[in-house]
Amino acid sequence: MTSRLWLSLCLVLTLVLGASATALAAGKTFKLAWGTDPEALDPHCQLSGPMLQYCHLVFDPLIRWKKDNTFEGRLAEKWERIDPLTVRFHLRKGVKFHSGNPFTAKDVVWTVERAKTSPDFKALFEVFETPVALDDYTVDLKTSKPYPLLENMATYIFPMDSKFYTGTDEAGQPKDAVVKTGSSFANEHESGTGEFMVASRESGVKWVMKRFADYWEKPGKGNIEEILLTPIKENATRVAALLSGDVDFISPVPPQDYERIKGNKDLQLVTMASARIITFQMNQKKRPEFANLKVRQAIIAAVDNAGIAEKIMNKTTIPSNQNSPKGYAGYNASLTPRFNLEKAKQLMKEAGYEKGFSASMIAMNDRYTNDAKIAEAVVGMLAKIGIKVDLKTMPKSQYWDLFDAEAADLQMIGWHPDTDDSGNYGEFLLMCFDKDKGFGQYNRANYCNPKLDELSIAAQSETDPAKRSKMLQEVEKIAYDDAAFIPLHYEPLSWASKKGMNTADVVNIQDFPYFGDLEIK
Amino acid sequence: MFAFIVRRILQAVVVMAVISCIGFAIKHSFGDPVRELSGMTVSAQERERLREELGLNDPFLVQWGRFLKGAVHGDLGMSYLYKKPAMEIILGKAPATMELVIAASVIILILSVPIGIYAAVRPRSWLSRFFMGVSVIGVSIPVFLTAILLISIFSVQLGWLPSFGRGNELTPLFGGAWMSGFFTWDGITHLVLPALSLSSIMLPLFIRLIRAEMKETLEAEYVKFARAKGLKPWRVLVVHAFKNTLLPVITVGGVQLGIMIAYTVLTETVFQWQGMGFMFLEALQRSDVSLMSAYLVFVGFVFVVVNTVVDIVYGLVNPMVRIAGRK
Amino acid sequence: MNALKRFKDCYFLYSFLRDPLAVGSLAVLVVLTVAAFAAPLIAPHNPYDPATIDIFDASTPPAWTPEGSEKFLLGTDAQGRDILSTMLYGMRVSLIIGFGATILQAFIGIIVGLSAGYFGRRLDALLMRLADVQLSFSTYMVAIFLGAVFQTAFGMANYETFAVPFLILVLGLAEWPQFARTVRASVMAEKKKEYVEAARVIGLGSRRIMWRHILPNTLTPVMVISTVQVANCIMGEAALSFIGLGMPITRPSLGSLIKAGFEFFLSGQWWITFFPGALLVLLIVAINLFGDWLRDFLNPKLYKG
Repeated sequence: MTSRLWLSLCLVLTLVLGASATALAAGKTFKLAWGTDPEALDPHCQLSGPMLQYCHLVFDPLIRWKKDNTFEGRLAEKWERIDPLTVRFHLRKGVKFHSGNPFTAKDVVWTVERAKTSPDFKALFEVFETPVALDDYTVDLKTSKPYPLLENMATYIFPMDSKFYTGTDEAGQPKDAVVKTGSSFANEHESGTGEFMVASRESGVKWVMKRFADYWEKPGKGNIEEILLTPIKENATRVAALLSGDVDFISPVPPQDYERIKGNKDLQLVTMASARIITFQMNQKKRPEFANLKVRQAIIAAVDNAGIAEKIMNKTTIPSNQNSPKGYAGYNASLTPRFNLEKAKQLMKEAGYEKGFSASMIAMNDRYTNDAKIAEAVVGMLAKIGIKVDLKTMPKSQYWDLFDAEAADLQMIGWHPDTDDSGNYGEFLLMCFDKDKGFGQYNRANYCNPKLDELSIAAQSETDPAKRSKMLQEVEKIAYDDAAFIPLHYEPLSWASKKGMNTADVVNIQDFPYFGDLEIK
Repeated sequence: MFAFIVRRILQAVVVMAVISCIGFAIKHSFGDPVRELSGMTVSAQERERLREELGLNDPFLVQWGRFLKGAVHGDLGMSYLYKKPAMEIILGKAPATMELVIAASVIILILSVPIGIYAAVRPRSWLSRFFMGVSVIGVSIPVFLTAILLISIFSVQLGWLPSFGRGNELTPLFGGAWMSGFFTWDGITHLVLPALSLSSIMLPLFIRLIRAEMKETLEAEYVKFARAKGLKPWRVLVVHAFKNTLLPVITVGGVQLGIMIAYTVLTETVFQWQGMGFMFLEALQRSDVSLMSAYLVFVGFVFVVVNTVVDIVYGLVNPMVRIAGRK
Repeated sequence: MNALKRFKDCYFLYSFLRDPLAVGSLAVLVVLTVAAFAAPLIAPHNPYDPATIDIFDASTPPAWTPEGSEKFLLGTDAQGRDILSTMLYGMRVSLIIGFGATILQAFIGIIVGLSAGYFGRRLDALLMRLADVQLSFSTYMVAIFLGAVFQTAFGMANYETFAVPFLILVLGLAEWPQFARTVRASVMAEKKKEYVEAARVIGLGSRRIMWRHILPNTLTPVMVISTVQVANCIMGEAALSFIGLGMPITRPSLGSLIKAGFEFFLSGQWWITFFPGALLVLLIVAINLFGDWLRDFLNPKLYKG
């Protein structure tokens, strides 16, 4: 009796193990772990980092960024400016969607129109008129005013399969509806032109993406057959998963583990500073002392941002004196570092605050790399010039409401321009707050300089790159001279993987790894 | 009897109403879901529109009423984050937590029974002292530290066991309603470390409990008598003595189970174990307030039902309770 | 004098002195407590004063390692704070929270348990259902809920100053049912005894009977649970810190220090987690061992629940 039970147990076990062994044998699987997974399958559901990373796998943009800050065509083969308001895109022929439908200019028109109705993309696409399809493979993107950033924006156009998304689903809901908080056809189904198709997805747990057999780029640069994406939220767990070989590729990597990964002969690490500037805003209305230019200068002079970049960020980033990183149109090389503790003390004395004063500060503890530690370090630095800072750190879910309400005198904010352009920093962080026009939406310092506003607005429709660059550099200079904010550094980006992959070639400053190009040896 | 049951059920309903009210009131302190749902550049007006659409601007009582109406039909609202009915998400995550707790309980049983008995029989031996010492230290290490310690030894250094998750070979049971990791080698290896770290909190308690109970029964007359009768020592231990220590162990075990479930939040977070505790923290950190409320009400519901059923069963078997409750 | 002599001769002390583990654990406990509360006097640095912290001292290994600095015996954390000093201050915070929360729990638990057990019937049903509600909300939820209330009441910037009372309140409110149930059970057992009956017959008020007659007889289990609860509360605070609801890192407890060091676990900066972790373990082990002895002495059968 018992022996028979054992026998059947063994049999079951063998069967199960056998089945799992065959499952493993098929295809080259790439195991990928991100901090968070994309919110849904609908590219227009939410404008977020993971979502765009997903779009670059499953959809294709018209054009995409290259490492040297220029563009390369994807679904567009070439493009040319026809007049100040129009750019003509010549589309790739013979491209198929995952559903099998052919890709044409109609899909581009449809996608742009849809983006204009999505709450997240509405503002970015506001400047666009309805595109005009000249024939199946030529489309004109038109803007309502001369617009220098049209190419930047074209990287956000991931053509969707208009035929696939037309009609109504079983629930009677239109298939093209953009639904942010519930189920919808587009949130659960995809048909893009990308190299990978979503085979199965369990939100927050596991995504399986398989190579799309009819992909247009043949032969592709990469050789991944299947992507297994797992979000791993906890930093230490993510690193452990890579160290133990459970996954092949992780991002982001916490700075304290860089050495450990570099020291491992089977692993490689790629890092770069992004364009996301980390800053503190000094509220000039809430804290009267901050209205004094000398005080603001003293604070900036007291903050050793190079020290933070070296010690807290573990040399993974570069300290900054302005918003724009090198390579951006607005980057102003003449702006020099201002850290000088003696001068800071001197300035405090001149301002009449030799004895110092108290101020409050809020920062997040789960958003940027080492955010809470950075805030703590700044508190320590300000203590040296007599400013006693009460710091409260909190998760991002509670942060932004307080930020908007100007809950503290010093508030942390990191900013990455969606347009990957200098003008965006000024529009959101520095221009005088104007609720109706939407300017200065995140300027909670109550900083306001009409000259800066004027230049920022002018730059929005200046199509001559040289002139525009000059304007934006002037904007940086004004903010620098006004000591408008405390610049710290750029949020570091990091990717770690097993050796034998061309990791460094597929990652970029936008943090959109092009896994379609990843080659595993 | 009937009156007793009715009264007890009525109490349970009132408790549920209170829990749902609190669970729902709390949700406003989880942060603003609209922030989490939209990109940074989305304008204030657009966010306000979304808030209106989600009904977040309605008066509290209106929102609560809407929630109760749905809850009665088993609909606890939509999870903003997962974009699916909250109930579906919770039920989908429950098996992972249950399996983790079951596995941890099994580990506790397998280890605590022999060690407890041994420590009771040979209280002065070095081995028992070692076991007792280790168990005291075990209970004194925060569970998240135990977890990362296990990962760093068994996954990173030795490479024996996987470091996170439930693995990729789950077996669907009950038509896919329960994804189980018990039936594949892959699933079981994934289970070992999380279950070990979870059991580390409760193991010492059970070892001591069994030890103390055993010590007591070993001194009982009937054990002495069994020995005197000349039964084999192991038979006396296992059949006569241990059997009688089981009841208190089971009673305490039931109470501790609830505490263990609360601790799964930490274990699941460190191991990226996709259970209810992990979901809870995720929902908390990403302001999925509707999932949060649903979770609170769900947990409260399970708790109240279990309590009520236990009370009623007690009442059925033990008329004293029934009478004492009567007025 | 007489009392002292009586204490010296009593069985309690005799039994205590005979158990080296109990003596040892109490000694460790006393030393740690004194060190914690004397932190401002004995700690080499003041981790609460941001002006003395230099970011360039960050992540210095312990003094005896090649890169160590004599200034920092056990090294520094990622902020440049001296680990030894931060640990001492942190232990003080942990102990205050542990004892404070336990006292609060015992206080609520005794009142609820006493009233429920003594008056029984309706009040009993009400209070025990209340305990049910409480138990179905885990510590985390209490922390979240109270956190929101505190923030609106006291404002954001002051969290640092009210974090300790806040956590005491959270842990106190979250786990009182443990005490309440134990006290209730003993009260129900005591209530039927003759001395209570006698007290009632001579016309004493119920309050007096409860407090003066029954309560003293239920204190033994309370004592035993208390020692365990102090350890539990310290661990509970560590758990809250882990999910970001505990002490802020500017006023760290041992728990939040370990949490801060958790991220460094795999990265080779072992001292950031190791020392606070070891200290916490030592502290909890000492409390638990002492509690064990107390339990064995007072009532070996108690934890049957």
